[in-house]
Amino acid sequence: FPPAFQSIPRNPIVLDLAYNCIEFPVLEERMKKGRGGFMSRFFR
Amino acid sequence: MAPKSKEKPKTPTSSQPPPAIEDLFTTLDRHIQRSEYEQAVKVADQVLSIAPADEDAIRCKVVALVKDDKIDDALSLIHSFHKLPIDLGFQKAYCLYRQNKLDEAFECLRGRERDSETLLLEAQILYRLGKTDACVDVYRKLQNSQIETAEVNFVASLVSAGKASQVKGALESW
Repeated sequence: FPPAFQSIPRNPIVLDLAYNCIEFPVLEERMKKGRGGFMSRFFR
Repeated sequence: MAPKSKEKPKTPTSSQPPPAIEDLFTTLDRHIQRSEYEQAVKVADQVLSIAPADEDAIRCKVVALVKDDKIDDALSLIHSFHKLPIDLGFQKAYCLYRQNKLDEAFECLRGRERDSETLLLEAQILYRLGKTDACVDVYRKLQNSQIETAEVNFVASLVSAGKASQVKGALESW
């Protein structure tokens, strides 16, 4: 005593990588721009 | 405890004109950047109330529901738009996969371009179906696609396929 350590098999890990492929479309062209928005007051 | 009494709802009164679509998309984008998916769904709905077939709004709503773990809602939304010429096949297949409707999910991927996202999902479906040899083959196709951590799943498929002895070699050539 104590008994020796033994290795045991475990279930392999599988990641949900397809989840990362569910992506939002690019909205750049659909947004308001260059018309004196709130942020443009800081970046002028 | 008494409820907060000074909370003012920020919703505009009905007499105001609806906000411009580009303003809504600006708000929508901000919610997406901040991972505020519930809010994103609401803003996408506002866009859709003005432009019911807006593809970007529809895509945003579907993705936001998936990211918010509302797979059932995402799937019924995809069904409700099936007559529009918007390809949501991958999203549909993914939702079916999450519901463990594996045969339906697999069917949904059939005929799609076999790009890396399709292959990744196909491999995950095959794994759950216990078709580990086919699964290994799909990961081999993804070997040069530089997908981060895909080798984790590849190893899992090799082990489950009884090919644990190949793991070392496979990882060296990954």
